[in-house]
Amino acid sequence: MSFDLNFIGVLIGAIMASSVPLILAASGELITERSGVLNLGVEGMMIIGAISGFALMVVTDNLFFAVIGSMLSGLVISLIFGLLTQSLLTNHVATGLALTIFGIGMSAMIGKNFVGIPGKEFPLLFVNFKESIPFLGPIFFGHSIILYFAFGLPFLTNYFLKKTKTGLIIRAVGDSPTSASNQGINVTLVRYSCILYGGAMCGLAGAYLSLIYTPQWIENMTGGRGWIALALVVFATWSPIKVLIGALIFGGITILQLHMQAIGLRIPVQLLSALPYIMTIIVLVVISRDSRKIKLNTPTSLGQIFYKEK
Amino acid sequence: MNTKLKVSEISKIYPGCIANDKVSLEFGSGKIYALLGENGAGKSTLVKILSGVVKPDSGEVFLNNESIKLNSPLDAKKNNIGMVFQHFNLFETLSVFENLSMDSDKTNEDLRVLVNDILKKYNFKINLDVPVLNLSAGQKQKVEIIRCLIRNPKILIMDEPTSVLTEQETDDLFISLKQFSKDGILIIYITHKLKEVLSLCDEVAVMRKGKVVSVSNTTDEKIESLANKMVGENLNTIKKKINNFKNSEEILKVSNLNFKSDDPYETNLNDLNLSLKKGECLGIAGISGNGQNELFQILSGEIITEGTSIMFRNKEIGKLNPRERREYLMAFSPEDRIAQAAVPELKIYENVALNNFKSSNFFEKGLVNEKKIKEHSKKILSNFSVNTDNVELKSQFLSGGNLQKLIIGRELITSPELLVCFNPTWGLDVGAINYIHETLIQINEQGKSSILISTDNDELLKLSDRICVIYKGKLSKIMNADNVTAEKLGILMGGGSID
Repeated sequence: MSFDLNFIGVLIGAIMASSVPLILAASGELITERSGVLNLGVEGMMIIGAISGFALMVVTDNLFFAVIGSMLSGLVISLIFGLLTQSLLTNHVATGLALTIFGIGMSAMIGKNFVGIPGKEFPLLFVNFKESIPFLGPIFFGHSIILYFAFGLPFLTNYFLKKTKTGLIIRAVGDSPTSASNQGINVTLVRYSCILYGGAMCGLAGAYLSLIYTPQWIENMTGGRGWIALALVVFATWSPIKVLIGALIFGGITILQLHMQAIGLRIPVQLLSALPYIMTIIVLVVISRDSRKIKLNTPTSLGQIFYKEK
Repeated sequence: MNTKLKVSEISKIYPGCIANDKVSLEFGSGKIYALLGENGAGKSTLVKILSGVVKPDSGEVFLNNESIKLNSPLDAKKNNIGMVFQHFNLFETLSVFENLSMDSDKTNEDLRVLVNDILKKYNFKINLDVPVLNLSAGQKQKVEIIRCLIRNPKILIMDEPTSVLTEQETDDLFISLKQFSKDGILIIYITHKLKEVLSLCDEVAVMRKGKVVSVSNTTDEKIESLANKMVGENLNTIKKKINNFKNSEEILKVSNLNFKSDDPYETNLNDLNLSLKKGECLGIAGISGNGQNELFQILSGEIITEGTSIMFRNKEIGKLNPRERREYLMAFSPEDRIAQAAVPELKIYENVALNNFKSSNFFEKGLVNEKKIKEHSKKILSNFSVNTDNVELKSQFLSGGNLQKLIIGRELITSPELLVCFNPTWGLDVGAINYIHETLIQINEQGKSSILISTDNDELLKLSDRICVIYKGKLSKIMNADNVTAEKLGILMGGGSID
């Protein structure tokens, strides 16, 4: 095995690709949680996005429709969560867990007819540069448009939350829904919007898996990535940039430990497999250990049901 | 600019309680109006209706003789009604400026200019770019007022604004309010403090049990006349206790107590020293958030400190937990009745059982001795005149006053040597306050000691033998209560120094 520069470039490209679903889902969930809603249905929404994207691709033979459709399906399933938690005031945690169970079951049922069907090739951008520029080529070029979007998203999210009025309102609702309501802000509407946005992003994350990363349908193919995304949001203390860092570390160590396994290092496989989880948590805890910042970033009303006085 | 506000036949009924019963009132600009009443008299409901937070069941509101609909806070804003709530409606984790910009249509640059003008005009000093959680209560209130002022209000409603302020801050607030009134803003001032009504307001409407019982000019009223209208009965005054602790032995000594917290919401304590004799009541004054919470938790054992820093009856107890401290005959009544002192979902006798001792035999071989606990609870209910004899009642159905009686009763029935209480009459009505005060005097007369941490200066001056002030985690020197006045306390509470 030669450690030439180009190989490292390819490796980094692979790491980036593997972190895309985490970045998308976590960025979406981050907005949802910033408005004070804890949606534990990320895994369920992702897998619904994965199967609907794949099914639409097979049925319509159109990747554009497939991607849009996956986002819409994520949005629709998060609407169920919204109706239950915001209009019927059910408990966020229980409803989110139910959503995940529902999503996994539902996707397995729809997916039965799609097992074993080969995926379609997703167009990659700037493939020429990827091959002609050593090292940097495979890092920056030859990716799908969704990857570029995913890597821009945390910065956009950060800007949106910090600099725009809508972002300010979302943070205000997450801080104190009662105060926000007394200020004339429609808390329910804000929270619904954030839930739907989170759903759409999870749907897109699922589609990335079934259309681009491993273009096929396998039952339960999200494999717990939704839960990782959820954990990333918390351990990144609701900071979009730290979510990006966390996703890259997780993706990076996942890929690296696979290579280490392949080389045949004398370290137990179980330990290697556990490495991404441990390292991600350690790194995020270390970079977010400022308790003052945690207080300021944490949505105070997270998971609380909001009753409007009448 | 002339503003006339009229509420006509406003009624609002909650399950089991008529909050507003055909309330009719008239207000005009140029005057400051007081809305006076006890807790639960319906003042806050009326104010919430005027600010669009709550919809009335019937009745109308007229602004300058036109009927207006107040279906949401936005409607109130559209009609230039500004409101400063008793519990601040601020976003703690956002900066002051972000809080202000939330509902302004102006660009950030224009808003900053406007806010700076307001700060200058009314001599407010606030850093716009720090998170609200770093501000003092007085500063938070100013942020609320500025938020109203940037919308050019015709009407400004203040709901019990001085409950969190020092004497000095209150004076400053009154100066500002008088200035607003001169600038043509109609001011409605909600309070249950009689002195404030007389010193600030021109007209006063008294509410009792949801009804307006009187409207008059403040020049025609005295404190006693207003008090009787508010309560609806003649109050008996509490007799001052006889001091007999002077030569008694020392029971508690706190020396060089320090507490450092990483939590930005908490206050650090610096080198606290105090001592307490048998039969003495030590009052600790201060504006909330100056370390009272932390001090209470350290005394009660919720926060553990060095063993030597707290000596109780010549034993080092700093490292003991609340239960172990109770074994040494300490008792505690926390500020938050619902969250800290009692579990609202549990029945009365279950809450009583939570406070158990080795000697109380509430539990046998790991099993609950229900009969014993219930007998014990019945004794508490009758000895401390809690308004029920049903020990199976869930604690959440007790009123604040009755719950406080239950909590104090639960602590006192074991005859502790020291009771530490924190704002024991917070949010209670006059009758319940009287009862609690009498009880606290009684335990001193029985030779037991008490520490009273309170934000209510009148209460402190009435009950304490010695008083000190906590400010930013530091204690002032401890003074004899006879030499202390409300003014002195006010200066110390605001961080000033006397003599």
